[in-house]
Amino acid sequence: MPESVTIMPGGGISRRPLHFFILADCSGSMKTDGRMQALNFAIASMLPQLAAWEREQEQAQVLIRAIAFADRASWHIAEPLPVAGARWKPLHHVEKGLTHMGAAFRLLADALQPGRLETRALRPAVLLITDGRPTDPAEFDAGLRVLFAAPAGRAAIRLAVAIGRSASSEYLSRFVDDPAVPVLVADSAEEIVLQLTTASLAMSRLSEVGADRGDIAGRLIQPSLAGARAPDDDTIV
Amino acid sequence: MSVEQAARDASRDWQVSTAVVRGAAHELTGLPLQDAAGYREISGGLALAVADGHGNQRHFRSARGSELAVRAGLGAAAELAATLAASQQPADLIVATRAKLVPALLHRWQRAVQEDLAERPLEAGELRLVQREDQVTVPYGSTLLLAVLTSHWLLLGQIGDGDIVVVGPDGTATAPVPGDPLLDGQRTTSLCQADAADSFRLAAADLGSGPVAAVLLATDGFGNAQTAEPWYPLFGADLLRLSQQHGPDWIRAQLPGWVARCASAEGSGDDAAAALMIAGPPGWSPS
Repeated sequence: MPESVTIMPGGGISRRPLHFFILADCSGSMKTDGRMQALNFAIASMLPQLAAWEREQEQAQVLIRAIAFADRASWHIAEPLPVAGARWKPLHHVEKGLTHMGAAFRLLADALQPGRLETRALRPAVLLITDGRPTDPAEFDAGLRVLFAAPAGRAAIRLAVAIGRSASSEYLSRFVDDPAVPVLVADSAEEIVLQLTTASLAMSRLSEVGADRGDIAGRLIQPSLAGARAPDDDTIV
Repeated sequence: MSVEQAARDASRDWQVSTAVVRGAAHELTGLPLQDAAGYREISGGLALAVADGHGNQRHFRSARGSELAVRAGLGAAAELAATLAASQQPADLIVATRAKLVPALLHRWQRAVQEDLAERPLEAGELRLVQREDQVTVPYGSTLLLAVLTSHWLLLGQIGDGDIVVVGPDGTATAPVPGDPLLDGQRTTSLCQADAADSFRLAAADLGSGPVAAVLLATDGFGNAQTAEPWYPLFGADLLRLSQQHGPDWIRAQLPGWVARCASAEGSGDDAAAALMIAGPPGWSPS
């Protein structure tokens, strides 16, 4: 190939990173009714769907990270993992483990501090999956404040999937922080797969644009409306 | 360097190239090309400009708005070239730019928008996209990046996102225009905002104390495709090395291909526009 075709100054080009964070509840109650297995199956099913979306669109490279939380929060996938070809390593519940969501928010906030994401990265997406209410209400609020204090945390597309009816939609709504955006509820393993896939695709599509959260709600309620969107849906300050 | 030497430096042969490529994602979604670029010779120098029309549907005529922005910037630079060149210090040039060039280009752009609206009044479908509080220029919202080279000065001005990169003779690349914390990737300052004049960020360089080998103006579709962060130091060093190896006319010929790669699905997928001026090395003459 002629040199003139291959040479370009600089460090090369690539798609814009779309950082996708999964916050997964591993508390003791997740062993009930096979919820932990269902969550693992759902995430494992969701990833190929995200990879397919990545191939279809023309802008983003999806990078997955995951935080597991119970008595404490820890990285399950600490380094950004390209979704193409990603394989999900199953999570396990913590026997009698509590639901310390606030710790998960703090850990996430660390990764979203200024300078931690590429300046060219698209808005990050954060998907919270839980079957209960936080057992650390004060720390939940404190962690959420820390998350929202980070510009990228505030700007992130945030969605929550409640497994079963015992999950607290009040707390999850505060995490989402927009009354127009519903908390998705899944009662069965099949519903968990469906909701996670719906949520992840909606979030990915919306991360690449400047859509408002009302638009997210519309797309979650009517997934058929979701399609490719403008790559630079920017507007004025 | 003496003033005479500086003047010779400014008047030596510059290779100028512009390129604008519709983004892969724009093609996929049926959006028009919303970036624009251009250059023109002005009295004693050159002016280059690129512009990026906002993608949000609120700015449904931004493709036209970016074209008008480039035209307004180059026109105002030509009109005020002598005034700018007469500045005695970089600080004077900044003051003159803020007092005269910025108002002049804004006036030209706003007038051009009014004329475009008179020729093509908003249709019913467009009227539905207008928000109650919007000024008439909002549908045409665009950024603007402008470089003006006079005999002694290099003036840089920018409103909104994008990059202006200056490469020195040793390949050192800088981004002299101050950043703006309001630019978060989703929102941008714009020619269409009421206080646009206040949002212009400016920089001026004295060619006598710091010779320039190349200047690149690029919309964010170009910079967002670059993997390195920050991307311009390596880009500038490579640009100069390639220019020394192949000649500036080769660089000029390559620019459209580089911009196309940035706009492709391998890059940002967004529209990309670039305007590049690159000086010939000692002894080099344009082909």
